[in-house]
Parts: sequence; C-alpha cells; structure tokens
Amino acid sequence: MKATKNDHVCEDEVYASIFKTHSKTVYNYIYYKFGNEEKAYDAVQEAFVKLWENCSKVAPEKAKSFVYNVANNLYLNVIKAEKVRLKYAEYAAPIEHEAPDFILEEQEFKEKLDRALQNLPELQRTTFLLNRIDGKKYAEIAEMEGVSIKAIEKRMHLALKTLRENIDGI
Amino acid sequence: MQENYLAKWLNNELSEEEVIKFKATKEYATYQKIVETTKGLSAPKFDMDKAWNDLKKAKTVAVPEEGSKVISLNPLKKYLRIAAVVALMVSVALFYNNSLDERISTQYAERAEVVLPDASEVVLNAESKIRYSKEKWAEKRSLSLSGEAYFKVAKGKRFSVNTPDGTVAVLGTQFNVESRKGYFEVSCYEGLVSVTYRDKEIKLPAGNSFLVIDGEITPTQHPSTTEPAWLSNESTFKSIPLRFVFEEFQRQYNVKVSTKNIDESQLFSGSFSNQDIELALQSISVPSQIKFKFEGNKVLFYAKAP
Repeated sequence: MKATKNDHVCEDEVYASIFKTHSKTVYNYIYYKFGNEEKAYDAVQEAFVKLWENCSKVAPEKAKSFVYNVANNLYLNVIKAEKVRLKYAEYAAPIEHEAPDFILEEQEFKEKLDRALQNLPELQRTTFLLNRIDGKKYAEIAEMEGVSIKAIEKRMHLALKTLRENIDGI
Repeated sequence: MQENYLAKWLNNELSEEEVIKFKATKEYATYQKIVETTKGLSAPKFDMDKAWNDLKKAKTVAVPEEGSKVISLNPLKKYLRIAAVVALMVSVALFYNNSLDERISTQYAERAEVVLPDASEVVLNAESKIRYSKEKWAEKRSLSLSGEAYFKVAKGKRFSVNTPDGTVAVLGTQFNVESRKGYFEVSCYEGLVSVTYRDKEIKLPAGNSFLVIDGEITPTQHPSTTEPAWLSNESTFKSIPLRFVFEEFQRQYNVKVSTKNIDESQLFSGSFSNQDIELALQSISVPSQIKFKFEGNKVLFYAKAP
C-alpha cells in the first residue's frame, strides 16, 4: 500500500498535531498514577522522543496508544505513587450568599474526597480521573490501558464505590 | 441492578427504571456529590510550549531509524554489500534469539501490572517475576512465574503458568497463583483452573483454592472475595503458619523481620494492610499475642520467654 506523504508520523505537521492532541493527556495520565509532576513531564518527553525515533514504523492511528504505552512502561516497577494533588476550580459564584457552615461542609467534603482519591488503587484512580477531569470516554481509556471497555467500566464502578465508602466512613 | 451500574450511570446508560431505583438508595446522595465535586477538579498545569521546545532539542539528537534517504558517495562493491548484509542478519538473529523472552519483575514493596500480547492481564505482587515469549505468544500462551500474581486471562487457547511447584492451566478466567519457598497456593475466582501438582491433575472450579505448605496438601477455606485481597492492598491469611505471614510482611514493606521466642509454625488467621505499617504490625501482633519492636527498617517480633 502506498502511504501518502502527509499521513506519516515523520512529517513535522503530523507529529506536531499528535503532540498537541495527546501530550497533556499523557502528562495527566502519568500524574494520576504516581502523583509526581516531574516524572509526568519526563514521561511526555520520553514518549514523544521514542515516537520520533520510531516514526517510520508507527502508523498515525497507532501513535496514540504508542505514546501511552511508552509512558506507562517507563515507570513500570520503578516508582511508588506519591500524593496526587488536584486543584478545585474557584467558582466565581457569589459565595457571600452561602451560609458559613455550608462552606465549611463543602470544604470538609473536598478534604474527604482528596483523601479517598489518594487511597484508591492506582488503576482505579487513573481511570476515574481520566474520565472525570480529562473527559475521556471509557473506550478511549480502554485503548490507552490496552484492556477491554468492560474492564474500564469495572474500574469506574469500583472507584466510585470505594470513594463513597471512604467518604461515608464505612 | 446491572453489573457496573455506577459506571453506566455516569455514562447515562441506565434505563429510566434503574435510575429511579438507584436514586432511591441512601447512597445516592453521596454519589451525586462526588460527581458534582469532581467537576471542579483539575490536574497540575502542564506547560505544553516548554515541553514542545524541550522535545525539539531532544529530537535533533534522536534520528528516525529509517527516516531520510542517504546517498552513499562511496558505494560498497556488490559482494561486500552482500557479506555485510549476511553478517548483519546473523548478528541480528543471534541477538534476537537471546532477547526473545520478556522478563518482568518486582522488588520488595513493589507491584506491577502487565498486559500480555493477547490482552490478558497480570498483576504482580511484591518480589515476583514472570517470563514469557512475546513472539511465540500467539502459538503458545505459556509463562513462568516465581512469587505471586493475579491473572485475568482473555478467552482463547490454553493458558499455562509454570512454577517450580506445579503447573496451572486454564482457558480464560481469573485466578491467583502464589509460589514461594515452601508455599504454593492457587485460587480460582472465575471459570475453571487445572492445577498439576506432582504429576496429579486437580480441577479447581471458581471459588476454590488449592494450598500446599512444605510439600503437604493442606485443606483450605474458599476465597470469599471476587479478587485476591492484595489487589486492594491487604494481605489475608487463613490458618497459615506465622513464618509465611512474616515473609509476606517483609515483601510488602521492604523491612527485615527477626523473631525471638516465637513459634513460627503457630497458625495465623487475619489480614494486614499493605499501606500502613503501624496498623499492619498491630494486626499481626495483637491476635498472635506477641510483641514487636520497629526501628528503621527492622522489625523484631518477640514474646516473653515462658
């Protein structure tokens, strides 16, 4: 089969567009796993350098799972998860209308949620956050992780269940 | 409710009836709140421009392996070329042969998850090793294991796990194998597993375990969970001699365990956390009525001399 020139990963434009679309997700993906910003940044570098080195062998439609795979394998066996720090968006809503105990309650809930997220098994946390923060569909996460959609649904289900149990203190 | 209904709910895939039923549960409020609150979450900032610039620097060093064409100014004579190709093929073949097997291992206090070429999943517990051949995987799904691992096998041909103690074979299922010094345990969580131990084949249906301690087949209770406890960061034991409990503790926390005045063959039933060492120490020592000292990376379990 003859490949046209511009669907080749070695083409600068194609390569750049893959980078634009996926670098942030690779970064978040590794961050959710290990809670280390530096390692997540390095994983992005490593994954895309490897993609460049292998650009002639990787079909553009495979480039996505290629970079996730490289990033994921980079730390296999190597590091333990640290604390995953996430930020809550500051709502511009007029909070002065809210009762102080409501705000306090909100704050408490966020703290509980943080702790519960922290205690989730790595796979569940990664899947849950990729879906909630990055808005990734189950099918996309399944492709990234190289497992079935059902496996991802199971992780999502367990993640929510565990979070609730932790928060309600069961 | 259907399987994984929480995941379906998030994806708006529940039927109206199911939604009504779900909303009526007392847990619903918290679920709703979790989903609402996570809407405001964000990951740490990622500086894409910086990453792109750093990457450009790295790219100039790295070269695509079959990228641009090179025109030789001094082409080799034909026979020399052929000789070079042959030499290269021989060395590639040799190298290939030597690097055929994939090896994945974990150290103390580590865990790893591996996806095999057919999308079967393996989770390795601490201080465990697997070896398999990627190239031959399509013909023969076979790997060797030392240590402990949980398998989720994709449906297909026979899948076998070889350990120094025995061989475990399945078609497609979920099971856990632990093969340590003096200890061999297989638990089946789904489907049917066949265990060959000392040339005898034992069929293990879902919800059953097979345990050998120091060469002796030991009757054991059936797993009551749907997954081994260590996947949720707990180590569980049912009537297991203390020495194996100590060994697992060492592996999970990367500490050195020593004992004094303790009968290590005493049976232990219970579990310990793989995340909180203080709690784990309590969980082992209190039911066994022993004491412990914990300093640096050393733990001493002891009992008062009788």
